Amino acid sequence: MVAGKAARPGMAKVKPAKPSAPESSPPAEAERPSSSPAARSRDALHVYRGDSPSMPENPLRAGTRLERIPQPCILVIFGATGDLAQRKILPAIYNLRRAGLLPPESAILGFARRDLSDGDYRELARKAIVAHSRVPLEEAIWSDFADSIHYQQGEFGDRPDFKVLEERLEQVDAARGTRGNRLYYLATPPSSYAEIAGNLGRVGLDRQQEGWARIVIEKPFGHDLASARALNDAVMRVFEESQVYRIDHYLGKETVRNLLVFRFGNGIFEPLWNRRYVDHVQITVGEDLGVEGRGEFYEQAGASRDILQNHMLQLLSLVAMEPPIAFEADALRDEKVRVLRAIDPDWTSARVRAQVVRGQYAAGWSADRKVVGYRAEPEIPPDSQVETFVALKLEVQNWRWADVPFYLRTGKRLPKRATEIAIHFKQPPLMLFRDASTNPEPNLLAMRIQPDEGILLRFAAKVPELGLDVRSVNMDFTYGTSFMKDAPEAYETLLLDAMLGDASLFTRADEVEAAWGIVSPIIDLWREWDEAQESGTGPSPEDLEGTLAEGSGTGICSYEAGTWGPTAAEVLLERDGRRWRRL
Amino acid sequence: MSIPTADHPATLETTTTRWHARSTSISDTVHQLSLIWSGAARESQAAPPSATERADAHGGVSPDEGRDVRIRMRTSVLTLVVVAQRPEIAERAMAIVNALASRHPSRAIVLSPGDPDGPTTFDAHIYAACHLSALSGGEVCTEEILVKTGGELSQHLATVVAPLLIHDLPVVLWWPGDPPFASRYFKDLAGASDGLLVDSGSFRDEGAAGLRGMAAAAGEGHSVHDIGWMRLSLWRELLAGLFDHPLLTGELSSARHLRIDFARPGSAVRISKAACFAGWLAAALNWRVAKPLRREPDSDRFTGAFRHGRRLIPIEFRPVKAGLGPSMQTAGSLVRVELELTRGRVVTRARVTRQADHLLATADWNGAQVTRRAGRLEPFEEAPFLAESLDRTAHDPVFEMALERAVELTGSM
Repeated sequence: MVAGKAARPGMAKVKPAKPSAPESSPPAEAERPSSSPAARSRDALHVYRGDSPSMPENPLRAGTRLERIPQPCILVIFGATGDLAQRKILPAIYNLRRAGLLPPESAILGFARRDLSDGDYRELARKAIVAHSRVPLEEAIWSDFADSIHYQQGEFGDRPDFKVLEERLEQVDAARGTRGNRLYYLATPPSSYAEIAGNLGRVGLDRQQEGWARIVIEKPFGHDLASARALNDAVMRVFEESQVYRIDHYLGKETVRNLLVFRFGNGIFEPLWNRRYVDHVQITVGEDLGVEGRGEFYEQAGASRDILQNHMLQLLSLVAMEPPIAFEADALRDEKVRVLRAIDPDWTSARVRAQVVRGQYAAGWSADRKVVGYRAEPEIPPDSQVETFVALKLEVQNWRWADVPFYLRTGKRLPKRATEIAIHFKQPPLMLFRDASTNPEPNLLAMRIQPDEGILLRFAAKVPELGLDVRSVNMDFTYGTSFMKDAPEAYETLLLDAMLGDASLFTRADEVEAAWGIVSPIIDLWREWDEAQESGTGPSPEDLEGTLAEGSGTGICSYEAGTWGPTAAEVLLERDGRRWRRL
Repeated sequence: MSIPTADHPATLETTTTRWHARSTSISDTVHQLSLIWSGAARESQAAPPSATERADAHGGVSPDEGRDVRIRMRTSVLTLVVVAQRPEIAERAMAIVNALASRHPSRAIVLSPGDPDGPTTFDAHIYAACHLSALSGGEVCTEEILVKTGGELSQHLATVVAPLLIHDLPVVLWWPGDPPFASRYFKDLAGASDGLLVDSGSFRDEGAAGLRGMAAAAGEGHSVHDIGWMRLSLWRELLAGLFDHPLLTGELSSARHLRIDFARPGSAVRISKAACFAGWLAAALNWRVAKPLRREPDSDRFTGAFRHGRRLIPIEFRPVKAGLGPSMQTAGSLVRVELELTRGRVVTRARVTRQADHLLATADWNGAQVTRRAGRLEPFEEAPFLAESLDRTAHDPVFEMALERAVELTGSM
């Protein structure tokens, strides 16, 4: 994973595999290389080699900012007129072009149901970029960029339309010199993924002959384990796993990548990173917003599908994983999958009651304004049982983490937007402080993902007075704010990586399925309980024994907007003699 | 005596607390720094609750339990030493360092040596500042020390700097202008530093002596960064980009002629940038210097040649009077690069040409244009380059190889 462009801090980016064809052999008249230190150091340079056998090495690329420039390709956007394409993908491509990170031969081909001409789509793209790009549109760059944008009307389920698409791609390819490279971006509702992949296969657009063909799929990857498996099967009937890029934009964030640098680039933390020193781990993904016009989507998803199954389990696996043998896509993903598989997926009813809390926000105050409850939001049924909050306790049953609980919580309409991982270390023996008015608290290491990414270390210090008063002090490191560099959007990083063939920041099929394996059984149980409640066959008192949410049966717990979730979430930790970190 | 002052700008984003002290000896400077930080720590602990509450209200990390103490931290990442041989350079350097303070929290020591023949004097102004972000609750503290020396002490700046360095952190020496590479004075300071930042665009005369000085410093193990070289980045990227075209990549081994036009706004003819650019091509394409550059008789042109195998590659540097705006008033800035390559009957011409604030790169293959690229030049300011060199304190092997060839090329000058 990790550093994308040369300028990214931290670890070296993994380059695509060296081409199997012979390297461009040195010219016959080439002289022996110099033996000077500078010349010798050249051997250590990471020279980007194109990942197609047909692309010889360009020696002038070494050491330039654009050492990692992808080959030209056609980015085919399915759902080209949709919200995702307009808000994220088109602005990201424009910014990559503006930064000189894409070859000028690259092209975009929008594919959607609406009947538009190339000119119409260019106008739509222009408006999208003006509205959503992180940097203003520059006319000189736009006029060059606009020529590369094309549009093809078609239905996702209509094979003849894909035949037309194939012909159009060949035309664009010939006109612009994109060398047969295609990146298919599925910016469509998930329900269309399988039929698009199928139709691409039927007309042979999955084949990698002259150039490469890759497919990018947006989360959610299925809505439960069975559907994730079905989707993986459908896509992989057509594409090889190495051609599939499942995008979770969270992994494109700088701090998430920094997590690995922090863990494996610093020798002092890793020896403490285990059950001997760590008491427990808390992961919080808090949002202060409500559903914000996405009610229909949220009703289908809920916090478990929207955040827990993907973002939170990704963070958990990055924190808990063993060091990979290389910072290379499959080595990293192997380790992440091992962590997920070490979490017991056997969720009994009793275990869910004792270890999982689901909540839904009621009306309250969010910062300085009064907000309605979830059930009063647009597009939400008044009897909705969808969770906007989930907190749970997980145990990673491996040698490193046995008996160390991982507490996860995520929710909407919490007091603030905050994502962080907090490692709570064990309490040292306190006999030295019997006479102290206060005991030292255990050490804590908190890694903030957003906002204000940084790292906080809490340790004890003596108050400089007579006596032995001990206080906790926070050493708070905030990653420097750059005034001169704009941080790239996660979509820019990820699109560029997909074009470069670097899958480190993308999710593999087995990873998706392992994550669903943890979350799906919980959601299934909730559904069963809700159905039982509706049919009047609610739980017996014995069924409720050990439940966290006293008084609410097995139903959903309500929490006031602007608070840190239902009381049951506090009980989850209090039972273990712990409490949530106050953020 | 240190005097704390606080800025409360109209914006809620940052509150800056500043301190200023003055001293007339190094030991007093160290003492004043210590006073500033111990005072700052006391102020921090005694800060009214509103300060913390304000941070908390904006999403900052609030102390757990309500009984923690927020400690004021100096998150220094390096010591930056600047040698400003003229007062106006010192002023400019202070402004740039100040602008970069939050990006590279550091101790910056700006040395302004005065007349070495006058009386020995030491006068330091110490400025410290803590910038508290209301949004994050995070605080970044920085220090800038402006040291004016006079008399013999001006020749022993390394001893002035040594007690002021922050333990264990890298030291970057930025020497604007034309550094005296061969002097003991330079070598002592460079010896105490891990990285060196210079600007070959401001070297004296043709710049050949400066190139040799940089190469010598690199040869002694210093990580050398050159603003002049950094300004060539876009030129290199565009020329390199032309050869990504599959039709052209293979032609790179058949170079036949290289011509570089550079700006000559006045009488000064400076070839350091052109030499570094040619040196880069030579190193990347494995060319050797066959004929070092020499000035043509009765002309301002420079000619020389590289060799690639048995093939001789003549090179030509031409000064041109360019009228392309203020940045082109700098002697030695590149105006146009043309690389001609021939293989059999195939003739390829790759050109990068400066046009106002951007560069245009084109490549012709047997007379037909096959690819074209453009890029916008960065504004002509030093701050981004200083920032970039502070970002990358490691060696730049591509630059060092280019420099090695550039020195060979200008060896006879």
